[in-house]
Amino acid sequence: MTTLDTSAPATGKEAARAKFAGYFVGLSRWKIGEVLFWLALVGAYFVPDMNIILLGHILIWGLFAMSLDLLLGYRGIPSLGHAGFFGIGAYAAGFLGKYGWTEPISGLLFAMAIAGAVGLVTGRFVQRVHGVALLMVTLSLNLILYDAVHRATDVTGGDDGLQGIVIDPVLGLFRFDIFGKTAYWYALIVTFLLFLVARALVKSPFGLSLLGARENTRRMIMLGAPIERDVSFVFAISAALAGAAGALLTQTTQFVAPSALSFDRSADVLVILIIGGTARLYGAFIGAIIFLFMRDWLAALSPVYWYFWIGLLLVIVVSFFRRGVLPTLETLLQRLRAR
Amino acid sequence: MKRVLLASIAACVAMLPAGSLRAQESIKVGVLVSYSGMTSLGGQQTDAAIKLFQSKYGDAPGGHKIELIRRDTTGPNPEVAKRLVQEAVTRDKVQILLGPDFTPNTLAAAPIVTEAKVPTFVIGAATTGIIGEKSPYLTRTFFATPQLCKPLAPYAVKNNWKNVFVMVADFAPGHDCEKIFIDALKEAGGTLAGNLRIPTRNPEFSAYTQRIKDAKPDAVFIFMPLGELSLGSLRAMSDSGLKAAGVKIMGTGDITDESYVDAVGDAALDVITTGMYSTQHNSAMNKEFVAEYTKLNGASPRMGWGAIAAWDALRLVYDGLEAQKGAKFDPDKFMAFVRGRTFESPRGPITIDKGNGDIVQNVYIRRTEKVNGVLQNVEIETLANQSFK
Amino acid sequence: MTSIATVLFNGVAYGMLLFIMSVGLSVTLGMMNFVNLAQASFSMFGGYIVVLVVQRLGLPFLVSLPIAFIIVGLFSIVIERLVFRHFYGTDDLTQVLLTIGLVFMSISTASYFFGGTYQRIDMPAWLSGQRDIFGLTLERYRIFIVVSGAILSLVLILGLERTKLGGMVRACVDNPRAANGCGLNTQMIFAVTFAIGGGLAGLGGALSANLLGIDPNFPLRYLVYLLIIVSVGGMGTIGGTLIAAVTLGVADVAGKYYFPSFGGFVIYAITIAVMLWRPRGLLGRTA
Repeated sequence: MTTLDTSAPATGKEAARAKFAGYFVGLSRWKIGEVLFWLALVGAYFVPDMNIILLGHILIWGLFAMSLDLLLGYRGIPSLGHAGFFGIGAYAAGFLGKYGWTEPISGLLFAMAIAGAVGLVTGRFVQRVHGVALLMVTLSLNLILYDAVHRATDVTGGDDGLQGIVIDPVLGLFRFDIFGKTAYWYALIVTFLLFLVARALVKSPFGLSLLGARENTRRMIMLGAPIERDVSFVFAISAALAGAAGALLTQTTQFVAPSALSFDRSADVLVILIIGGTARLYGAFIGAIIFLFMRDWLAALSPVYWYFWIGLLLVIVVSFFRRGVLPTLETLLQRLRAR
Repeated sequence: MKRVLLASIAACVAMLPAGSLRAQESIKVGVLVSYSGMTSLGGQQTDAAIKLFQSKYGDAPGGHKIELIRRDTTGPNPEVAKRLVQEAVTRDKVQILLGPDFTPNTLAAAPIVTEAKVPTFVIGAATTGIIGEKSPYLTRTFFATPQLCKPLAPYAVKNNWKNVFVMVADFAPGHDCEKIFIDALKEAGGTLAGNLRIPTRNPEFSAYTQRIKDAKPDAVFIFMPLGELSLGSLRAMSDSGLKAAGVKIMGTGDITDESYVDAVGDAALDVITTGMYSTQHNSAMNKEFVAEYTKLNGASPRMGWGAIAAWDALRLVYDGLEAQKGAKFDPDKFMAFVRGRTFESPRGPITIDKGNGDIVQNVYIRRTEKVNGVLQNVEIETLANQSFK
Repeated sequence: MTSIATVLFNGVAYGMLLFIMSVGLSVTLGMMNFVNLAQASFSMFGGYIVVLVVQRLGLPFLVSLPIAFIIVGLFSIVIERLVFRHFYGTDDLTQVLLTIGLVFMSISTASYFFGGTYQRIDMPAWLSGQRDIFGLTLERYRIFIVVSGAILSLVLILGLERTKLGGMVRACVDNPRAANGCGLNTQMIFAVTFAIGGGLAGLGGALSANLLGIDPNFPLRYLVYLLIIVSVGGMGTIGGTLIAAVTLGVADVAGKYYFPSFGGFVIYAITIAVMLWRPRGLLGRTA
């Protein structure tokens, strides 16, 4: 990559190409804040009395919210049924573990593939509807899927959850322990790797064309961008990442029940993403950290009335961080720097 | 305006209870029930029962000072419940658990309590195949599905309501109960007029009542979870005229649970249910229990099964700790003590099965009647020592 | 034959109930373009007012209905002035987050003041039991719901869609500055519309309280239904909301009667079909 920057281009065409490539190199350069963010997650493990069980769950939620961010933040497609993909990944991993395929990493990839395939089909199916209609279609699909899983007690165990899931130690070495140590590392590494994929994607020409289609679909069509193919593609990627999050949950808890694909989860993930801020990837993680830490803290403090406080939190967030916490902080930081 | 503001601030502050004080030389007991959402009544009753128990018997059985760790499972949500159990066991070092409530939560928690050797009292899950099978540290002071789903089949046949329609909520416990009841009905010589599975999210029953009308049964057997479905199904039986036409309404006691039977209103009258406990149970111990509970917690919300399950669990916890007086807490000795234990509860005599750890108890057939103007589940028949199988 | 007619009637009654519950949301969402999920909380508030008026004050049920409409309407003006007006013109997702936050707060507040349990509402004798009409045995309360729903939709279509007020509200939403320039008091008109929407939600809660039961989780239980009805009908058309509600009501009841094992899915399947066919809803205006 560095050769592109140093070598002097001979022709105008090559110069344009180099400039183009240079733009993306600049775009994908790591900022100091990003490095610190991931180092902090590694460091958190070593902080005494840190609740890594909760933090592991937060990572999974963050990954899930990030998958929605690709769809909503980068392509402007809202979904009220994203838990469907999460649940498909979760159950795919669960069924594998139940019927003898107990190796976690291949199980995770398999779950991603299944969820991604369903996402591809769903993308095809819904690409012509937008806005509220899309919200309602995704919501209804989610509810139908939930009811089907909930009722099919013979296959899924229904409300009781899928019984008999066995997951081998990761790499044959690290057993999922009750202290949540393996679960945390496993979730952190998988989340980081999938984050890298998503990051590369949104910083690529493809990512830019998504943003373009979000801002002005008609112009992108006139530019010759394959909008429809892109929609089902981004749906597939997003669904695969959501499925990965679901599979992580199943594997780290060795349990899966219909709540994995409930409508509540779809709503929660949307709330998390909006709190954190869309089209940033990190917004998803910041949102998950804020929402879930606060929820856990408030629920422990006031088990009966914590709904009130979490509601107040949402009202405060939209009042003072109108576009989400992360974007507001970024603007604040820029202003301070400008001084 | 100022006063309104002050009042609302006061209300807000009242919603935040003070954190519990840490004491040394204590035994930590985790209470993992649902305090919020649609199932919050269970949590409230659990707390109310604990409060009464501690005011009566103190908080240091056998010199072990009890420290309670309360967490909200938010309902049937195994992801949250499993994490809370994990945190309670590994971080808070909880040594005894009450809950988590609901079958999926209990199933998710079972491997953890087994590995960490934490005696766990199931106070809100009825499905079979948990106790004695998933973990040696699980025991139950609630009830097992067969205890409530079986007895009404022979009872109906005995009363000459031979043609019975079965209506259950369309989820795993409903399917269990449906099978148990239908098998028992056939064994008793009754016939099945038809059966329906109702979606768990369903505000509208008229289509189902019409189907029941078409089938012309002698009686309807209903199994619904606590809450809107129980309320809705009983109202529908009455509003549609089925009840007035002489069709007998029966079900497990969930449908006429004291905590919301008032909201069902007259539609609950004359409904026949099975139950492990009614506040009307005729014993000196129960009369004292109900009077003290009402005195301490007020008449509303009324006491339901959540309270009695927590009460009996605490009885076992206290007796078990008393037996280990002066010694360091040993979970295996504790479980050995609990299993096989028989004692008198406000609901009647109960036994924790020695081999299995599940509960053996009296099951009562009740009729919902007005007692002093209040709807009550009045026990009309006692089936002694019903097995959990 | 009688069972088909009864099923049909029950379906219409259920549809009317859905209409009564969702019309308030339809007004604020369609006319003011404001996604107010807290309408479901307003409905719960209306239900609790019935409980207070009928059970605690001992007044007749019919008296409690206008009281619920007025109190919740006034209450929604207060909320509008305090909170919502700062969020006009923000994007949908912000409004969703804000109002779902308010829904959560309302749940805890209700459970603090009224407890977590279901409330008891005693209906007068003339509204309970059955009545024979044209050889059919129909439930009295359902007849009452159908009649109320019909009156309500007539009043709203004539009073809100076909009048000057309706025109003024649309003018204010479409172009506030121009409307202001034409001498319309936009602030006032927004507040009034909001009050009507809120009041209708309160009335909806009051009318459905008896059938659905009132408890603190009422808003979350029925929010999905409200959204489905309003979207399928088309934003801002009261006629569309009515058609959607009755269609879904009949389909739901008939589906459950004829195909009990799949009946629960019917309402969602229809929603998907309508949204794919007409994304703006049955009677939705094209932008």
